[in-house]
Amino acid sequence: MTFAVETQQLRYQAGKNFALTDVNLRVPVGSIYGFLGPNGAGKTTTIRLLLGLLRAEGGTITVLGESMPAAYVTVLGRVGYVPDRPHVHPSLTVGESMELHAAFYMRWDARWAGELQRQFRLVDDRRVGSLSKGETGKLMMLLALAQQPELLVLDEPTDGLDPVVRRDVLEAVLGYVSDRQASVLISSHLVHELERICDWIGVMDRGDLMAELPMRDFKNGIKRLYVTGAPELVGETPFTILSRAPMNGSAEQWLVRGWEPEMRGHVESIGAVVTDVIDLDLEDGFVELLRSFRDKR
Amino acid sequence: MFERLDPRSPVPLYAQIADHVRMAIASGELRQGETLPSVRQLSAQLRVNPATVVQAYRELEDDGFVATRHGAGTFVQDVSKDLRSRERRNAARRLVRDLVRDARRLGVSPQDLRDALDHELNGGGR
Repeated sequence: MTFAVETQQLRYQAGKNFALTDVNLRVPVGSIYGFLGPNGAGKTTTIRLLLGLLRAEGGTITVLGESMPAAYVTVLGRVGYVPDRPHVHPSLTVGESMELHAAFYMRWDARWAGELQRQFRLVDDRRVGSLSKGETGKLMMLLALAQQPELLVLDEPTDGLDPVVRRDVLEAVLGYVSDRQASVLISSHLVHELERICDWIGVMDRGDLMAELPMRDFKNGIKRLYVTGAPELVGETPFTILSRAPMNGSAEQWLVRGWEPEMRGHVESIGAVVTDVIDLDLEDGFVELLRSFRDKR
Repeated sequence: MFERLDPRSPVPLYAQIADHVRMAIASGELRQGETLPSVRQLSAQLRVNPATVVQAYRELEDDGFVATRHGAGTFVQDVSKDLRSRERRNAARRLVRDLVRDARRLGVSPQDLRDALDHELNGGGR
């Protein structure tokens, strides 16, 4: 098994205006995979398909080496899932919701669950319905972690949480990954939060997985160049020009992918000069990538 | 020791972490025999991928700055004076490289930059 999650030609129609088309998603075993995309891109729908909560209309899904949804009984026992909306009944107490989960998951670690409960300051006899948003988020993470999953699927796990809670939650996830080498699929539209954590990135937009690559390739390759004197047609380049925008005079801003410092020479050979090269962080790169992609459609 | 990690920098995070540790050893902030935080601790503290910390520690080990004893942790090695002063020179170059790049961007002349540097080295304008 080289991929914790693998889909081929995954298709799903959700209403008239939205469809997943031929999604080929691959989460390498042991990776922390950042699943990025704007709201409504289809991230949650994809996750639900992976876990058998929705039925695909075409394609295949393999999770932890087993075919989904056929093997969902065994697969779901090995997957920790934090859904976009809490799925624990509000009338249960914190302690009861933990007992309920413990009953379903063979590998539930009660000692560690207790430790996380103390760390997260979740009081045993509080009703789930009376918890704050942050406390609920921490409880969901506790329930997903304490079952010792081989794969963690986190759907916007920190959305709407305050910075302190976000930090607690991410620290718990990273601690678990350090100890167990689990794979993580984490979706978010909070791009900067994933920047330091993920080693793989998948970008989804309008039901289409438009890019999937190792984080270092994503970040190293994408730059903003300031170029002067470039001809209208630049022909073949050793890098990919995602967009060109005019500035003052003959100056232009280029967004490029696959840039290496030696490529300045190529730009000069077509009579232009690179006056500056700006590194983009993940968020800039992500936004620019989406923009250039949408312009092409 | 790790306050200034910059995800935007073209220097990969693992190399930034390794640079910070090397500097802490060169400056005497970390002494021979002291332990580095565990991968688990540092990964959680910096909120970086555990693999990034592992890679940084491996590089430090290859360079002879630290040694890992299984089950016991990662320890600062006895680092020679030469290596320590070389590391300080490397750090100086890194700092100046960033400075020069930013100055170019702002159109600051080399002479103005030298003057400003001398001014700061002599205690600034206080």
